[in-house]
Amino acid sequence: MFEEFKKLIKSETYFFLITPACIWQAAFLILPIVFVIILALSFGQGSHLVQNFTLENFQEILQISQIRIIFRSIKLASITAVASLVIAYPVAYFLALHIKRFKLFFLFLLSVPFLINVLVQVYAWFFILERNGVINHLLSFLGLVKKPVNFLNSYFAIYLVMFHVYLPFMIMPIYSAIEKIDFKLIEASYDLGANFRKTFWHIILPLSMPGVRAGFFLVYVVSFGEYVIPALLGGMKLFFVGTLISEYFFIGKDWHLGAAFICLSCGMLFLSAIFYNWLFKKITMQSKIIR
Amino acid sequence: MEFRLRKIALPLYVGIFCIFLYLPIMILMIYSFNRGGFPAQWQGLSFCWYYDLFHSVEIWRAFQNSICVALSAAFLSVTFGLMLVYGSKRLKTNISYFFYSNILVPDIVIAVGMLSLFSYFMVPLGLITLIIGHTLLGLGFTVPILKSRLDELDYRLVEASLDLGASTFYTFRYVVLPFLYPAILVSTLLVIIVSFDDFVISFFCAGSSAQTLSLYVFTMIRSGISPTVNALSTIMLLVSSFFILAISLLQARLAVRDGK
Repeated sequence: MFEEFKKLIKSETYFFLITPACIWQAAFLILPIVFVIILALSFGQGSHLVQNFTLENFQEILQISQIRIIFRSIKLASITAVASLVIAYPVAYFLALHIKRFKLFFLFLLSVPFLINVLVQVYAWFFILERNGVINHLLSFLGLVKKPVNFLNSYFAIYLVMFHVYLPFMIMPIYSAIEKIDFKLIEASYDLGANFRKTFWHIILPLSMPGVRAGFFLVYVVSFGEYVIPALLGGMKLFFVGTLISEYFFIGKDWHLGAAFICLSCGMLFLSAIFYNWLFKKITMQSKIIR
Repeated sequence: MEFRLRKIALPLYVGIFCIFLYLPIMILMIYSFNRGGFPAQWQGLSFCWYYDLFHSVEIWRAFQNSICVALSAAFLSVTFGLMLVYGSKRLKTNISYFFYSNILVPDIVIAVGMLSLFSYFMVPLGLITLIIGHTLLGLGFTVPILKSRLDELDYRLVEASLDLGASTFYTFRYVVLPFLYPAILVSTLLVIIVSFDDFVISFFCAGSSAQTLSLYVFTMIRSGISPTVNALSTIMLLVSSFFILAISLLQARLAVRDGK
């Protein structure tokens, strides 16, 4: 028995090499997602969590207030992604094409905020924006305000911190896309009489589009489901998709509704991603036309 | 005009950008050396919060948990990733691409799915479930890095080694592994950082018994600000920047050696 097993391993080594990772992926990524879908389509409680299949959860979830929260998250994710794209593109452009010396140092400088703890970043902002934090201290020192301004628990704080945290996510993909552009193409464009604007719009932008797309969708998807920032800076009153999901699972303890909400919001996320993908294709097509 | 725009305005813009990126963290670090407990008033230099930090039992325990989870997750995900990448290369399957999706699924969906599955099968939440979750997260980072490195390996070397009578293990140990070594190091460091920084999966899968550093910072923010957290954040920042420095130096050396 043991000998046979040994032989089997020897003949199918490579198959056995890939199994652990695949089992891990199936058991802890695919299975939980399937389980969430099953939960969304069923009802039951306690040890009989899945008793019968029904669509009632979705009926209950399809209310104006829930849909509004999903749209609020879509808006948050869109604004964060577009704003960080617009702000980060020139930085990536500069880094890729204009810096010759100390490139490694600049790359390091920009990848530190990308990988440091989100909680620490949120804490830093908390520290600055708090009632008796740095900004209020500065404002009252300058005599601009009499009473401390409350910056926290507002959309302003959430948008500001989201933007700050996800900015570095945008730079790396765009940087590596611009870096890959053959510099001869840019030189050729100048040689043939195009000015900077034309070269940028018809050469650099279309060729860096894969990076722009990757960065945009990375930021869009991650900030759609963001939990930490709305939970800490929204004061548990301004709900977004991430905070509402945790509300369903931790406080409401209604897993079926929570699962249905996850399915609904992921569906909306998918639809909006398709829309943005179409938009990107349109823009790329436009920029390739030379008038 | 255009020339001036690109020579002056662009560097200026990048400079302002960097300041915006680093300003909150810098303020945080400076105030960790403030003597007073009141946040915005500067009352002189002091290391008292660091002293507090190193004498807090709770923080030490959270730190130990974080280290334990990060090292186990890094070990598991790098080992599994290595096996997967090498095996699927020899089998000529494209199964590795399947692992690229781990970063694209929103964290909270994975976390909630695991939480409900674990509680349905009555798996007690704790360090083990945390390691499981972080290993899954880590696979999404290690597999792409290791795969892209392995694709650069001249495959004739492996075939030559096998033809000359080396066993599979011997070939792997003395031909493939030395070539992959920098990528292994980079992905190990990356998974350690990612695991240390992860909050959402820890929040859902850790239960009440196991506290990590991220969870500790979260509860501290909930209860208001305290200079001890400033000190803790400063140390965490310095440690992770050291790791990131190691990663970028390693990658740069790789690029130089391959003559790019």
